[in-house]
Amino acid sequence: MSSDSDARSSQRASEKTVIKGACFSGFGDNSTPTCVDVKDQRIVRIRPLHWDWKYNPKDFNPWKYEARGKTFEPPMKAPVPPFGLAYKKRVYSPNRILFPLKRVDWDPAGAPGSTGPGGRNPQNRGISKYVRMSWDEALDIVAAEIRRVVETYGPEGVLLQAEGHSEGKLIHAPHGCSTHLMNLLGGYTQQIRNPDSWEGWYWGAKHVWGNEPNGCNMQYCSNIYNDVAKNTEMLICQGCDQETTPWGFGGGTLASNLSFWYTDLGIRQIYISPDLNYAAAVHADKWIPVLPNTDVALQLALAYQWIVNGTYDKEYVETHVVGFDKFADYVLGREDGVPKTPKWASEKCGVPSRTIKALAKQWGSKRTTVCHGYGGPYIRGPYSTEPARMEVILLGMQGLGKPGVNQMCWVEGSRIGEAVARARWGRSGIVGAQTPAPILRPDVHAAYRGYIPFMMKQPSMIPKTILHDVIDTGAYDIYGSSDQMDPAEDQFIHYVYPLPGKNEFHMMWCDTPCFSTCWNDGNAYQHSLRNPKIETVLIQHPWMENDCLFADIILPSNTKFETDDLGCDDWPVWYNCVYLEEQAIEPRGDSMSDYEIVVAIADRLGLKEEYTHGKTVDDWIKVGFDGSGMEEAGLCSWEEIQDKQYYVIPTDPDWEKKYPAGMIQFYEDPEKYPMTTPSGKLEFYSQRLAENFPDDMERPPVPHWIERSEFHDERLSGERAKKYTLLVCSNHPRWRVHAQMDDVNWFHEIETGKVIGPDGYHYEPVWLHPSEAKKRGIESGDVVTIFNERGKLLGGAYVTERLMPGVIYIDHGARYDPIVPGEFDRGGAINTICPRKTTSKNCAGMVTSGFLAEVERTDLDALRKQYPEAFSRPFDRGSGQTFERVLHTGEGTR
Amino acid sequence: MKAMIIDITKCNGCYACQIACKDEHVANDWTPIAKPQPDTGQFWMKTKDIVRGQVPRVKVAYMHHICQHCDEAPCLKACKMGAIYKREDGTVIIDPVKCSGHKLCIDACPYGVIYYNNDLQIAQKCTWCAHLLDKGWKEPRCVDSCPTGALQFGEEEDLKDLIARAEMLLPEANVGPRIYYIGLPKRFVAGGVYDPEEDECVEDATVSLKDAAGKEVATAKTDGFGDFWFDGLGVGVYSMRVEKSGYVPIEIIDISTEQDINIGDLELSKSAQ
Repeated sequence: MSSDSDARSSQRASEKTVIKGACFSGFGDNSTPTCVDVKDQRIVRIRPLHWDWKYNPKDFNPWKYEARGKTFEPPMKAPVPPFGLAYKKRVYSPNRILFPLKRVDWDPAGAPGSTGPGGRNPQNRGISKYVRMSWDEALDIVAAEIRRVVETYGPEGVLLQAEGHSEGKLIHAPHGCSTHLMNLLGGYTQQIRNPDSWEGWYWGAKHVWGNEPNGCNMQYCSNIYNDVAKNTEMLICQGCDQETTPWGFGGGTLASNLSFWYTDLGIRQIYISPDLNYAAAVHADKWIPVLPNTDVALQLALAYQWIVNGTYDKEYVETHVVGFDKFADYVLGREDGVPKTPKWASEKCGVPSRTIKALAKQWGSKRTTVCHGYGGPYIRGPYSTEPARMEVILLGMQGLGKPGVNQMCWVEGSRIGEAVARARWGRSGIVGAQTPAPILRPDVHAAYRGYIPFMMKQPSMIPKTILHDVIDTGAYDIYGSSDQMDPAEDQFIHYVYPLPGKNEFHMMWCDTPCFSTCWNDGNAYQHSLRNPKIETVLIQHPWMENDCLFADIILPSNTKFETDDLGCDDWPVWYNCVYLEEQAIEPRGDSMSDYEIVVAIADRLGLKEEYTHGKTVDDWIKVGFDGSGMEEAGLCSWEEIQDKQYYVIPTDPDWEKKYPAGMIQFYEDPEKYPMTTPSGKLEFYSQRLAENFPDDMERPPVPHWIERSEFHDERLSGERAKKYTLLVCSNHPRWRVHAQMDDVNWFHEIETGKVIGPDGYHYEPVWLHPSEAKKRGIESGDVVTIFNERGKLLGGAYVTERLMPGVIYIDHGARYDPIVPGEFDRGGAINTICPRKTTSKNCAGMVTSGFLAEVERTDLDALRKQYPEAFSRPFDRGSGQTFERVLHTGEGTR
Repeated sequence: MKAMIIDITKCNGCYACQIACKDEHVANDWTPIAKPQPDTGQFWMKTKDIVRGQVPRVKVAYMHHICQHCDEAPCLKACKMGAIYKREDGTVIIDPVKCSGHKLCIDACPYGVIYYNNDLQIAQKCTWCAHLLDKGWKEPRCVDSCPTGALQFGEEEDLKDLIARAEMLLPEANVGPRIYYIGLPKRFVAGGVYDPEEDECVEDATVSLKDAAGKEVATAKTDGFGDFWFDGLGVGVYSMRVEKSGYVPIEIIDISTEQDINIGDLELSKSAQ
């Protein structure tokens, strides 16, 4: 081979196959590698990478599980979900942004808050359209705005909204390339990424068992799949859908294969959820429908049954738990006079008391692991701290950590657990993995150019979940940063904004944002975005979707198919794998990668050399490869990976012996292997919460059932429920990764993908039980309106037995298509109307499920007359939305 | 001769097969095997949700409809242009150049898996990705993309153990299909049994199911939740008896399996004695 670039250009010939990881977590992490066949600069097909494409399987030591006389061997190909297979549609979507845009009535020469011609017209964000700019003009404006804002207000004047969901890319990181540039300018105000799919674990469960950083089990998950196969008799899947979230977040379809195998092994799977979710649909031995966000009542009744019948592990509680008595006082009614009996619980949660008793009996007598698909409705409602804490307590009552008794997340978490343990405590609690560990865990983060949670926190920061309040009121005064990687101790730290002597932010710089459709109370957020003190909204995005509609300047970034990059499957799925991600096609239109965009801005600011460290993209790829340690370990040379494009790390032959499974060490010796709680034990009563927040009735020291409170009134028992009679259940989407891929029309053709309305529009499915549909005169296929005080949105009715009565089910993340921005959405973005208030007063988590709303049949003709503009936008039969719809076609104001 | 296995019991409903088929055939021209599939509306490998039962006893099965590559293919016989042929490996192909859009094959197909392309004015269907098989691929895109092993493809001889326990779709059509199904959804009758006095689920009750002729077709014991399931039933009318020592037995008649049925939670009263 002559040189790297020669080799690469010769491969850029008419036909080639490149590798691209199909993970959509938005961090540098990657997974589920695919092979992309390209011909004449066009993507022909995307298919799973077969591990043995260029290697003999014995090169990577294939592993297998053996349990109960049966064997499980992982497939010889990456577990690619349909997202990767359909991604060609995303790359070529008619909704791609192909050149820089400026809002037609936003003039950077205008004074802050100015309206009319020559003004900034913040009041028109979300309404007015856009005109094309050249890159030169765009970069001039952007550089001048950054300079002006930093000079006027200090670096805190720029808010970086630099995290979220998107493709997994390393050098061309879709989130946070901006952070490194702003650091060179003295800092910035940071939007803090909350634990957006595990709120309850973070704000609640950590006070029972630590288990940093997430509060769900990531610290002690080594070999946990194997432990379940060998020792577990029953799996409880409460609000768990391993057939959705893991698809986009590293797990791929691994959970499918293992869930089927567990059934073959005779392990019973019990699903407790308002909906017969996608995992329950095919894996459930029993579905127990529970009303949204009432799980804690059910859990308290289980504890009640175990206490009164003595069917819990008393010896374990004696040695591994503190505060059991105070917990028992509440459960038995000694604290409040209300025993938490199955009958009591049944009225709250809708599960028959006899079923609760049967569940208590089985869980109390069979080795049970509770599993989660990572997040889910169970953990994202008001007071989500309570079910999360209760779950750990229930596991504790049954000997948490004993073989077969664990909490298992269907998304590999050991990597995060390990990285945080190493960075924070200088030690690594775990080195194994959920699947059999490789001999080396490759880490290519040395080349990551994006945002790294917690490692780069700024003094000036705003929790994402209260951003709208902070814009409106100009300040906050809270406990806890809400950073998803912060330890439990942080929740007792007092924070204020703006920092003393510093300014509020006045410019927002966002990369691939999706707040409106993925975070809390999107409608309120949109109103806040029109606040005159926000002088500039700069957005980078590959697609004209969601928050882009509120930007002043839009810069077109591109997809991973258009760049050279490096990938690493380090959420190990079947195997750890490192791969070169060679450019598949030339960039579409005038688009550049997010990294290249920030390089160009840095160049305008005279900071290119410092920003890039003098390195080209090829240099960074080498930096990432070198960081993996594969060459030093004698596994794979730089030459070999250039030749073969990928390398599969061999399985450690000692994987089973070397890494203790789950929490067995804590189980066997809690003194030697303590949890990271103050006592080192499981804290059923949290002294720390009692001392820091003695008056907090929403997160008291022992988990409680909370009917309503200062923060929330979202129960069927309340006054509001007379008007809004149904509880919304909203999961991670099946046919999207959060907001991503809603323009892939091939998913719209799937029965639960979209409902094609009588007007041909692709409406987001709204599930209703036949009894609820009948009451409202709704039939499958009807266009319906979901509403509460916070706004309304349209959807397409899907009447089904997969949902219990009393509930509306809708996936979050539907593309936002405003009829009236901030009030009424056609696309079905349910998060536009979820609660403004956070998890509870001292927990700045978001609430996106388990809230009240009503649904009614929609008169489409009347709406079309009332809102002619919204119903006549350019519309693609395929994707539903086109880039052209936002283009200004009349007289310009340029 | 090639054959395909579709194991419904291993399908997670991810639709990867349906999507991969579109990825392969939409906007890609594989003449002489196939011309491009339209962007939407055609499903050469069609997945379909079948929601079975009523709350809370519900399951979902994912059915797959695909050209059966019949040995006695009615489409082949119906085509007046001689555009449809069977390859040596068993694959039935509609020649996209010879096809002149008479739609006779569409009417002749008992499985409803041939589509009409209005723009190209030709009939189109699954080709088992013969253009890839001819390049050395071992299986079509749908099978390559199936993550769970629910779809398998290969020489009939190599699949004979699976074929032995498989069923064909519409065997009465007698056209020699080469797609073999495992676990085709039939009908189920499910329910639960409880003791209202104790407010407990009744475990280990014996439930026996009889057909319309009064012949016992199955018995089951209730599980820890008091639940029982009879799956794999034909369409018909059944009766049921639930009994447990110490309780008054109950009988339920006229259970129709026009659709899968959750007959609900049944009260079992303690015997007087």
